[in-house]
Amino acid sequence: MLEEIKEKVQSEFGFQSEPYDTNMLLIHGNREKIKDLLEFLKRSGFNYPHTVSVVDWTPKGKDFEVNYIIENIQEKKFVIVRVTLPENDLTVPSVCDIFPSLQPHEREAWEMFGVEFVGNPRLEVMLLPEWAEGTFPLRKSYDFKKHRKEKK
Amino acid sequence: MDSIAQAGFTFVLEEKKEISGEDLGLLQEKLLQLNWGVQHPASGPMRLKVWVDGDEVVKVDPDIGYVLRLLEKLVEYRTWINAIVNVERACFMDNFGTMTGYSIAAEKIAGVEVPKKADYMRTILCEGGRIVSHLVGLGSFVGVLGVHTAMQWALIAREKFLDAFELYSGQRIATASIIPGGVRFEPTGKFIEKMTKAIDFLEKEFFPRYEEVFLDNPTLKLRTKGVGVVPKEKAIELGLAGPPLRASGVTSDIRKDYPYAAYGELDFNVVTREEGDAYARYCVIFEELKESAKIIRQAIEGFPEGEYRTKFPVKVPPGEAYVNVEWARGCFGFHLISDGGTGPYRLKMGAPSFANLWAIPEMMKGIKLADVPVIFASLYMCHGDIDR
Repeated sequence: MLEEIKEKVQSEFGFQSEPYDTNMLLIHGNREKIKDLLEFLKRSGFNYPHTVSVVDWTPKGKDFEVNYIIENIQEKKFVIVRVTLPENDLTVPSVCDIFPSLQPHEREAWEMFGVEFVGNPRLEVMLLPEWAEGTFPLRKSYDFKKHRKEKK
Repeated sequence: MDSIAQAGFTFVLEEKKEISGEDLGLLQEKLLQLNWGVQHPASGPMRLKVWVDGDEVVKVDPDIGYVLRLLEKLVEYRTWINAIVNVERACFMDNFGTMTGYSIAAEKIAGVEVPKKADYMRTILCEGGRIVSHLVGLGSFVGVLGVHTAMQWALIAREKFLDAFELYSGQRIATASIIPGGVRFEPTGKFIEKMTKAIDFLEKEFFPRYEEVFLDNPTLKLRTKGVGVVPKEKAIELGLAGPPLRASGVTSDIRKDYPYAAYGELDFNVVTREEGDAYARYCVIFEELKESAKIIRQAIEGFPEGEYRTKFPVKVPPGEAYVNVEWARGCFGFHLISDGGTGPYRLKMGAPSFANLWAIPEMMKGIKLADVPVIFASLYMCHGDIDR
């Protein structure tokens, strides 16, 4: 099942993929075709998205990574779709029209990392207090001292 | 004329205008925003903004973040083994499940194989944690309907398990007992004995009594049957997790689908219901208690001899892993990344309660205001898990 997906992703989109774990496939996508790719995966049975996981690789001289983790709940298989974004252009099309349940996950990724999901209707603070909007605390460059709330 | 804010309630209009006594006559024609939560006995530390048209709920918007501790950031400042104290605090009810998931992820990156005894011990502890958590879930569900006896009965049964955990790790709630490389303490015969006693109490005393009074209960059925119905396709689309997903007829259980620890060697069933309403979700939690008791008995019977812990390296080679565990409240995902250092580089926790919470706005459209707490409690969420 995962081999078929791997071949189809290679022939239709030109994306490389590699086995990640047993029952798991890692697809290296790009942001131009991310929506087409996720639509294709949804048609192929990957209908249960788990979460959006962002990794900040900037201290290592690499870019940001956005991982979409999606499960095929009937056949019990996973795919991880990985998109890399340069630090100075953190935008990626939102996929919340394909997977509505990913909308709050994208919102969380935006408030913690500042990755802008273009098309997401609710990019506003959810977990953080309002004064901390725009501080992006899960980034590696976050400075605890600088962003400490001033005492009255 | 005094504003009604002084009477203890604040009614805020859609256009954010507060209305005072004189305008009260027009209330029925207006959309009101009510705050269900923070001080509500059933809500816990979160707020639902509920817009009502008379008695009918028009729109719901959860306001969360009251218990945000940013655990994912704190983990980055810990060593591999130290990080369990942050991971287990995702929710203290079932702290074993999260520690197990994190440990398996760390072991996968480091290439460490844990001894069989540790796997069995993890299984026993995870199921113990699930029982402890489910008992509170059952009790609070009935508590929301206004009967607090169920909670007291559940707490009596829960106490026996907490005693066993205390004997094992010295702590009743945040035990910090599962680490990368195995479990932290030698499981003694006394612990096994105490666990068996707790299971005996659960099976012989708690189940028959509770089943008779609170499961086959006409008033409870009247109040919960047909409330908050989620069909199978809708449950997958909304991204429900754990017991609510299984109550909608989706057979999804990480323990069965991708066995970890010792679950592959034990015999148990995945509990599902077809109805998908609040009562079905309540029943799934109850039936899962029975399965968990069964699993612990089997694990104790087949408990192997040997080491309970292997050495875990101080520095772990660069790499990453994504591991799911079936936690009490659903599938908990750990995306763990190592950069070759002495601690995690990044840990993403995919929380089931977070997924369940954001199904609420869709599930609560067009229901009556009195059903809000019932649906909320039936989703069986933990606030520590939502905010992390």
